[in-house]
Amino acid sequence: MSIPPLTTTTADRGRTNGAPPSARLRRRLVGPAWGLVPFLAYLLLFLVVPAISVFVDALRTEDGVSLSAMGEAASGQNRAALLFSVTFSAGAALVGVVVGALLAYAAASLERPRWLRTAVTSFSGVAANMGGLPLAFAFLTLLGRQGILTKILSTMGWDLYAGDFELGSVPGLITVYSYFNIPLMVLVTLPAIDGLRPAWREACSSLGGTGFTYWRRIGLPVLTPSLLGGFMLLFANSFSAYATAAVLTDNSKIIARRIGFFLGGDVSIGEDAVGFALASWMIIITATAMAIYWIARRRSERWTA
Amino acid sequence: MIHRLSSVVAKSVPRLVVLVCSLFFAAPLLALARYSFQNVPTILLGWSTLFDKWSVTGVTAVFREEAFWSSLRLSLTLAAGTVVLTIGLLVPTALWVHLRLPRARALLEFITVLPYMVPAIAMVAGIMIIKPHARWFLNSDLALVPFYVVLALPFTYRSLDTGLRAVDLRTLVDAGRSLGAGWPRTMVRVVLPQLRVAIISAVFLTVAVVLGEYTLANTLLIQSLPPYQELFVGREPQAGYALNLLALASTTVLFAVLALVTRPRRRQSSLVRAIVSSPAHSSENPS
Amino acid sequence: MSILHLRDLRKSFGSSVALEECSLETREGELVTLLGPSGCGKTTALRIVAGFETPDAGSVELGGKDITRVPAHRRSMGMVFQGYSLFPNLSVADNVDFGLRTRGDAAPDRRRRVGEMLELIDLVDHAAKFPHQLSGGQQQRVALARALAVEPRVLLLDEPLSALDAKVRSSLRDEIRRIQREVGITTLFVTHDQDEALAISDRVCVMSQGRVEQLGTPMEVYRAPATPFVARFVGTMNELPGIVSGRETVSLAGIEIHAPRCSGESAGTAGRLLVRPEDLSIGESGLRGTVVSLAFHGATSAISVDVQRLGRYLTVVAPSSTVDDLRTGAETTVAVDASRAIWEAT
Repeated sequence: MSIPPLTTTTADRGRTNGAPPSARLRRRLVGPAWGLVPFLAYLLLFLVVPAISVFVDALRTEDGVSLSAMGEAASGQNRAALLFSVTFSAGAALVGVVVGALLAYAAASLERPRWLRTAVTSFSGVAANMGGLPLAFAFLTLLGRQGILTKILSTMGWDLYAGDFELGSVPGLITVYSYFNIPLMVLVTLPAIDGLRPAWREACSSLGGTGFTYWRRIGLPVLTPSLLGGFMLLFANSFSAYATAAVLTDNSKIIARRIGFFLGGDVSIGEDAVGFALASWMIIITATAMAIYWIARRRSERWTA
Repeated sequence: MIHRLSSVVAKSVPRLVVLVCSLFFAAPLLALARYSFQNVPTILLGWSTLFDKWSVTGVTAVFREEAFWSSLRLSLTLAAGTVVLTIGLLVPTALWVHLRLPRARALLEFITVLPYMVPAIAMVAGIMIIKPHARWFLNSDLALVPFYVVLALPFTYRSLDTGLRAVDLRTLVDAGRSLGAGWPRTMVRVVLPQLRVAIISAVFLTVAVVLGEYTLANTLLIQSLPPYQELFVGREPQAGYALNLLALASTTVLFAVLALVTRPRRRQSSLVRAIVSSPAHSSENPS
Repeated sequence: MSILHLRDLRKSFGSSVALEECSLETREGELVTLLGPSGCGKTTALRIVAGFETPDAGSVELGGKDITRVPAHRRSMGMVFQGYSLFPNLSVADNVDFGLRTRGDAAPDRRRRVGEMLELIDLVDHAAKFPHQLSGGQQQRVALARALAVEPRVLLLDEPLSALDAKVRSSLRDEIRRIQREVGITTLFVTHDQDEALAISDRVCVMSQGRVEQLGTPMEVYRAPATPFVARFVGTMNELPGIVSGRETVSLAGIEIHAPRCSGESAGTAGRLLVRPEDLSIGESGLRGTVVSLAFHGATSAISVDVQRLGRYLTVVAPSSTVDDLRTGAETTVAVDASRAIWEAT
């Protein structure tokens, strides 16, 4: 008595012979593909539908479908807000990328103490997941007007709030965002740095290259897709951040905040459609960034696998 | 000579980076702790008052609030619901993909990035659009659950996927079946125990995400824990901050327990592996 | 003329000693293999020569000059690693070109040289490919070309074949030897595979636990092992327990065997005689035993004989024609030719 195969094996390929190759392929894929339907349906319902609704309402006017709201959402004050948010998120991402990559490199290369690397990865895992809300409050107690560090600095003669520094200003927000951006970068970059084989460094050396040569011609080029991907990830992360911004600032130039106001009934954004158009632009920007992240990630895996 | 100098520099710069970063990461937590435990306003804080008025009353004050308990209950209920729905949806899917549709693995990895393409605030905008059309469902607080499943998807699917990759699933299933066990039995007695660690990771991650999720809850005016955390700060500053400290500490403890439970078998623990291979990890993003 | 001279190298990592009194001299153009089990120090020695490790004591001389303190990138050494050492972001041609470009050679010269090297390894058509598009064997050939492009004075190979499958391994091994001969470069080759070592080397340096056990031609190392370790590590050995009974005689199970290499031992010492299977034969006189198994290997056969009085099985390798009529279970005699056997006291 033979037990039917439970999982497709290469032996199965013989069973469908007689049919043309494309049909064979289809037959092999379509059957089992049904198993994904519940999952895909779920995603459709609870992810795709809300996202599409935003676009639908953005394109809806009294006389039917129109791109006017999208246009309005990209002009005037809204445009200024979009530009501001993109620049701001890019700045936050840049800080996160540089410091995060350095920290990841430090954790990967320092042999002693032995527990350092595990400590860094574990902490990064926790910190990257730390809620934006408690974090914002924590920074308020540190660097807010009544913050303890503010106090310490003022006793040393440096009044942090003499100028127009605010935790909710750009430098302030970037500082707070770095708290979860840096660990996120560490988590994403460590595997890539691990992928840099010592043999490459040594081969470069035996061919006459110095450390500088190595980084310039091998190390950084190999890491570049990973760094780019990391940048995109941090960008999307900063761009989408809501809770932290909500606590620290009222600045409606931050798109996430702006949309929050709009949803709360603030009509200064524009009419309904414009508000949703703004949200649509937000999705487009974030999705583009994540798409680049995805592509960069695949590329970096190819080289360091 | 230069060679030796450059190696000294190469050694000390990384250490410096780690030191500076450690200070940066510890400072806000310490500041929050000080504020929560010491009832001295910063203005009055000086060397003489450094050790005054330390107590836990700031932290325990929140326990007297009924609103705290009800919001905590709600968040825990939401977490429980999200966990159940996530496991029920993802475990069969992950198993199916690994056993029957290995080509779809890449596709599924991409799908786990998908939630990050739609920022939480945009998603909630979409939910508000749909709301009038689905009032019967979306009016309930628990309506958040399905969306939380989506928000937690990247972590949870990653966790399960990593766990499944670590076992030779096909061989196990074939072995179980060839020994006479039917499909259900094979799943329960052979496969699921292998996934125990991955499932526990997924559960913990889900709970962490749900307990920290602010954006959806706040915009939809649902009084789960995070909106309450913000509200309470407005009403009673010290107690409110202390509550946030508690929230932070709880998440950290959660992760610490998880790291212990899923002890490292290889170089990295499965938790760290799951998080590491997840595309984006901050609950800032989904929230 | 000695080109590479390792003098009394000593190296420890923490509390474990990797190398102790390791000395070696190579001649111009010869291929010396460092052979030994893992942990014997061969890779450490190679890395010290390359400049990736500094010895605790001892020195490395190249052409008479002490290079022990010279940094790795200034030694003129070409190195081939165990695997995956090609730069993944550069094409095959750019990989081979790397050392030339670092050196600052002019573009036309580099192009010409890269072309020469690619022809040498027969991968001209693959010049534009990237490492991940090549097989393991092809990658190692490119690694070899890359190392040789800058015309180093010494070529170092760190187990270059270990990561490859068996078929590729033997053909690549011969390739490497061919190229090495053609270019005429002094080479140090590290491996744990004694077949490899015997097949391609001019001389073999057998190492164990940080020390050099024997340095000699493959023939010497095989036929005249200096120590029991070498005897066992290279090829197979039969171990015959016995007692020294005279100046050059050993008593095995009551039979006197002439063993010229045991001359230094005093009578009465107990120990083991290590004899190669091909130095045993099925004959008229010798040790009595029962045939346990016969393995036919074409020209030769391996016969396993249970010699009760010695309390062990002996493996005899003999031309198949001479043992044609032997059957399992048959009683037979094993003659011992101990002229090359070495003695190990217990």
